[in-house]
Amino acid sequence: MRSSPGFSAQTLSVLAALCDEPSQWQHGYALAKQTGLKSGTLYPILIRLADRGLVEACWQDEPEPGRPRRHLYRLTAAGLASATQALASAARPAATKAARTPVVRGAVARVAP
Amino acid sequence: MNRLNRAAAAASRAAASLLPAGRRDWVAAVWAEAHEVPPGLARLAWRAGGAWVIAREALMPRRLGRAALFAAAAGAAAWAAWPQPTVGHAAVSQFHVIATLLLLVGLPLLARRFFGPPSPSRAGRSLRVFCCAAILALMPALAIVEAFANLTPAQPAYRYAFCIAQGWSNVQGCTGVLGRSTGGPDWAGEIPLLLMTIAYLGVILFLTSRRSRVTRGTLAIGTGTGLLFGMVMYVVAPLGLSSNATDPWLPGSTADPLVALAWILLFGGPAAAAVLAARRARGPGGATLPRNVRIGQGIAAGVLANGTAALFVSALGFGTTALMLRSAWLLHWLNHGQHLTAIAAYRYEIGAGTDTNVYLFMLIWFPVIGLLMSALGAA
Repeated sequence: MRSSPGFSAQTLSVLAALCDEPSQWQHGYALAKQTGLKSGTLYPILIRLADRGLVEACWQDEPEPGRPRRHLYRLTAAGLASATQALASAARPAATKAARTPVVRGAVARVAP
Repeated sequence: MNRLNRAAAAASRAAASLLPAGRRDWVAAVWAEAHEVPPGLARLAWRAGGAWVIAREALMPRRLGRAALFAAAAGAAAWAAWPQPTVGHAAVSQFHVIATLLLLVGLPLLARRFFGPPSPSRAGRSLRVFCCAAILALMPALAIVEAFANLTPAQPAYRYAFCIAQGWSNVQGCTGVLGRSTGGPDWAGEIPLLLMTIAYLGVILFLTSRRSRVTRGTLAIGTGTGLLFGMVMYVVAPLGLSSNATDPWLPGSTADPLVALAWILLFGGPAAAAVLAARRARGPGGATLPRNVRIGQGIAAGVLANGTAALFVSALGFGTTALMLRSAWLLHWLNHGQHLTAIAAYRYEIGAGTDTNVYLFMLIWFPVIGLLMSALGAA
């Protein structure tokens, strides 16, 4: 189910969601809503991306009153380069069938004009 | 639903402790984010996803696999070591089994708390596994050998051999309940044995922990030297020390270079390991370490060398003797080419059973010799 070198369709959708505003920190729940992924799929992907140095994570400085601090994510410079390249290759007509799934199509549409 | 959510949260927080330290943040992140999810099924589903993350990230298969392997090995060892009805010292033996298992489970947890997590090096992890396996193997082997060595035979001809092996000059002074194993380990002997187990486990857990700062090279040098020495010792003394050197593996051998090699390794091995470890020890980025730190590395290597050797030869020696007592084929294989009468076989077995005491001597004194020789070598 690889749609781009090294990335699954779900990973591509996460990369695309993070590419929307690469400089902004994003929350897990917002990413889950954007990508349609469940927490059990989303977080392992974020963990792998962080392990590869493509995503950086940190804890919110000032939590909202009565709420625990939230974990925030954004692409690193290397992550942004990899994401752009992977999404561009997924947009090509020769991309694999998995890359043409609705999740990735949406992601590609957002990133590649 | 709220109660279910809270229960799921509590269970997963407890399960998160199975995760490696670097992964716990991620589980906390899933949990914190659950507060943003609408309450009810959606939040429960989010938390179920968190539980799945734990299952994946805790390397559950590997950790659970290791725990299951340990449980199976410990169960088998305890089953084999549990005293038979004919054993008179059953209470002491049962206590030994239970206490050893508790130590094997509890000491690593205590070590984690006080010495920090295990060293990430392969040598360190292998050494921990080896130590645990050797202690587990010793448990049933020791029980079998002790039960046999103290079993008063019912037949008069056997009783004479038994009494001689027990150190009596005749059968009159040698009293025991026929057909029962009496005079085995007592409470006074059990305490030092447990203290020795604690010392071995404690030292190895400390040396292989991150806080000890023993380098990978030191662990590898110490363990390697110890395994070499242990193998030589096992070939020299597979059934205690009373048999001729290298007999029965190399019957007929009189001038034995392996005995000389064993003596050299007993004193020279830890000294050489200490010198090598002290010279090779380097700080982060190849920085030269202060002299006292290098001496510490050398001593660690020397103690490890002789401690590993003692554990190795004791586990194998007790194991071989116990196997021989339980399996006639091994007895005949060890005495191949000889016609063994029943009484001769019994004499051989009871002799081997009592000769295994030498392994306890090795377990106590080898590390002490290692400490002294490595201190000399490293200084």
